[in-house]
Amino acid sequence: MCSNNPYIPMPVEIIKIIDEVDTHDIKSFRLKFLNKDDEAKFKYLPGQFSEISIYGRGESPIGIASSPTQEGYVEFTVQRAGAIQPGLVTAALHDMDEGATIGLRGPLGNSWPIEFLEKKNIVVVGGGFAFTTLRSLINYMLHKDNRSRFGDITVIYGARTPGLLLYKDELAAWEKRDDIKTIITVDKRDETWKGREGFVPAVCKDVAPSPKNAVAVICGPPVMIKFTLPVFFDLGFSKENILTSLEMRMKCGIGKCGRCNVGFKYVCSDGPVFSLAELDELPRDF
Amino acid sequence: MKKITIQRISDLATQLMAKGTLVAPVNEGSGFNFREIFDAKQVDLNFYNTLMSPKSAFFPHTEDFVRYDKNKSVLDAQCVELNLKPVFLFGVRPCDAKSFEIMDIHFSGTGAVDPYWKKRRETTTIFGYAFDPKTPADGADFYSTLGIGAADPEGSDILMMKKGDDLLLKAVTPKGENLLSSLNALTDASADEEKYFDDTVATGKSFKTRFTCVDDKVIAKKLEDLFHKTEFWEKISEACLSCGACTFVCPTCYCFDICDETLFSKGVRRRVWDACMFTDFTLEASGHNPRTKVYQRLRQKICHKYSFHIRKYGVISCVGCGRCTRNCPVNIDIFSIVDQALKE
Repeated sequence: MCSNNPYIPMPVEIIKIIDEVDTHDIKSFRLKFLNKDDEAKFKYLPGQFSEISIYGRGESPIGIASSPTQEGYVEFTVQRAGAIQPGLVTAALHDMDEGATIGLRGPLGNSWPIEFLEKKNIVVVGGGFAFTTLRSLINYMLHKDNRSRFGDITVIYGARTPGLLLYKDELAAWEKRDDIKTIITVDKRDETWKGREGFVPAVCKDVAPSPKNAVAVICGPPVMIKFTLPVFFDLGFSKENILTSLEMRMKCGIGKCGRCNVGFKYVCSDGPVFSLAELDELPRDF
Repeated sequence: MKKITIQRISDLATQLMAKGTLVAPVNEGSGFNFREIFDAKQVDLNFYNTLMSPKSAFFPHTEDFVRYDKNKSVLDAQCVELNLKPVFLFGVRPCDAKSFEIMDIHFSGTGAVDPYWKKRRETTTIFGYAFDPKTPADGADFYSTLGIGAADPEGSDILMMKKGDDLLLKAVTPKGENLLSSLNALTDASADEEKYFDDTVATGKSFKTRFTCVDDKVIAKKLEDLFHKTEFWEKISEACLSCGACTFVCPTCYCFDICDETLFSKGVRRRVWDACMFTDFTLEASGHNPRTKVYQRLRQKICHKYSFHIRKYGVISCVGCGRCTRNCPVNIDIFSIVDQALKE
């Protein structure tokens, strides 16, 4: 029962914790496998997720924020949940220190469709905290072994305030590169911010990426998605060429526990990545 | 083919208990249920169908995964082994036997394999038990709607059938054949009895329970089209209490929760049955819940069984056993809902 059992977490150690935002409720956790075999088996692609497991608390499905090109660890950016009800797992994780051991199950779900994205121009649009698996995708595409497989890369990323932007060092590094166009915006600037101000949908309209041979990969809060999609339709992007990632409450993560379905699809095993064309086939039940 | 006098059924039970674990219907006063048998005399075949479905033989109400100590490292957590003796699941009605095949598609036939379901299935031999086509069907049943006969052997390793004071037993699978030949409490059946058996299997096909003509693809599409017709779902769910009884008694409901139960520092991570009828089933940590209303949850249950499951696995996730109808405290009847949906 103990080997190859998809319900049994693999032991991992937290080797690094990065405080991402000035509200201190979003941290990145860098995890190292304690068994070499587990590390070898954990082959993932950007867009996949894992169940982070803390005995006595439970499990939480979290998107993988690192890219498979970053070897030796996996990274997850986790918000301490609890605005409405206490998030048991995320709160416990946020209270942990480097060196603590926890459990991990995965990789789970499908991924951003890498083969489909190859040779195309990629427009990545992210809002707020929903940037984690997009960051994985960007770092994957930017890796020296992969960059030539993709066309132009445009990143449009926004947060409410400058202090709420994730991965600030990486954003700065991308802005310096000439093989990726990085547009960072904030809803409301502060005295430190010298960049753009404006909501993501408006910035998308302003940047107006060409739909020609292009795919838009969009993740963000529902309100951002709602106003961003019409911009991309107006620009001429087809529903097949707009991708997003869904969230639902999950338990097993492997399509067995019956919890995360939207129509006939399980978000955990058939998703979380869907094209808008695929979502059109499903009832509005999320 | 073999037989035994029903009066001597405890001899057969004793032999099975010597070979492994016997799980059979027991009269519990308020009704019959499958229980592990410790006294051969408890086995009682004078039932129509059990209150709870036999799914718990493979998918128990609770299944322990891991034992842990919160004060120790995750490396000290102990995975719980399943050490099973051969199990004999005795007296399963044909519709319930069919449910195992439907659940196999989900748990072990598609995508990730559930190791617990698979192992329990492999260690179990199923003794099906034909409905008597001479006895009128219970008003809740509608298995013939779903193409299941009163004496269908599918899903069983051995099919049993009553004939007067005798119980006839015929092997369906090689596993059943091997077992039957090793049970010396049984005697050989006559050619006449074998003919009776085969005739009953055949006539069982035309035995009608409540019946409405349901075509998989038609109902799947119909419910998809009805999904956003809120008035329909509000009307059919008006009385629903969201108690979840229908899902717990159902042989094909498989939703589960994984939860940690800790007492002081020691605990168990286990899976327990869950139900899409419960309000917190889809409640996310953010506070968002896509199914806050009763109609949304009952819609999910009906559409899952009669639409989504067909789209995903090609089969209806219902065998017409009638348990949800029998046990609903407010008399909601899935058969009538499907029937109404088809007429919408």
